[in-house]
Amino acid sequence: MTCRKAKKLIPLYAGDDLRPRLMTAVRAHVDACPSCRKELGEYEQALTRLKEAAKAESVPDWSEGEWRALAARFKPAAPEKQKPAFLARPRWAAASVLGAFLGLAVLSLVFKDGNLGPRGTSPADEPSVVSLTLVSQETGLQVVWFLDKNFEWKGDEK
Amino acid sequence: MVLSGRTEAFEPLVTPYRQPLLTLAYRLTRNREEALEVAQEALLRAFRSLARYDISRSFRNWLFQIAANEARDRFRKGTREKAALKNAARDRSPSAGPEAGRERREIRSDILGCLAVLSPREREVFVLRDLEEFDIKETARALGCSSISVRVNLSSARRKLREAIRNDFPHLKEGR
Repeated sequence: MTCRKAKKLIPLYAGDDLRPRLMTAVRAHVDACPSCRKELGEYEQALTRLKEAAKAESVPDWSEGEWRALAARFKPAAPEKQKPAFLARPRWAAASVLGAFLGLAVLSLVFKDGNLGPRGTSPADEPSVVSLTLVSQETGLQVVWFLDKNFEWKGDEK
Repeated sequence: MVLSGRTEAFEPLVTPYRQPLLTLAYRLTRNREEALEVAQEALLRAFRSLARYDISRSFRNWLFQIAANEARDRFRKGTREKAALKNAARDRSPSAGPEAGRERREIRSDILGCLAVLSPREREVFVLRDLEEFDIKETARALGCSSISVRVNLSSARRKLREAIRNDFPHLKEGR
């Protein structure tokens, strides 16, 4: 291994972060090269000092109030209330209402003469003569009586 | 217990990590207020994502991964760096506070000063690998990148830190 290559790998070697094969190769080179050994020493020292300084460093801590306020939020979110379908899809709901309104409008136009009931129930359509048919089951004789609207006899037919 | 739905068990579960988590957030953000927000958000995210926790992993590393992601998201929003640099500069100024605790403040500002020479990615890798002692694989997993990327950034971070100590913080080099 050349010094140039070793110097590239030394920062990782200093923290034991190379793959085993490269660790072995760098170790062999450093053992034989005073310049690279010196550089490795500097990296190891720098890392050690930084780690020591980090341990001695004053770092912020939670105040009890901050922690309690946060802990109060460790609660499962309330399940969302199931919305009615028309609230879940307001556009569809509006379209349905509009459709129903238009349908009613069309129906009201079609039946605007009020002729919704069975035919012949209006006073004008009332028959002036009512017929009553009598049939004999034994002989098959039929007698038809004609009555006016006041049920007065108007005649018969056999 | 928490995974089985007993949410009241979450607080005792995370209490041992509250200080380490805040420390990590502080080293990543270099600002106390922002670190607090990162740590809070990380814990709330962890609480909401418990169902996705892989029990074969270290819970601490999982928490730290969430915090690192949160810190990175905030960094991308671009609000952190200015405040952090301002804070670091204030901490380094000679008139920062009373005499008591001055040494601790100096140590803190030295660490902050060193970390300031790193890019955000290098800082994340250095903090997780060297200060929090994750291994390469866990660091890669926490940062959502490859082991190769971790090694590249780690190598670069260590090189920059060695230079910074040699040039700007010689007292760290001498172990004072």
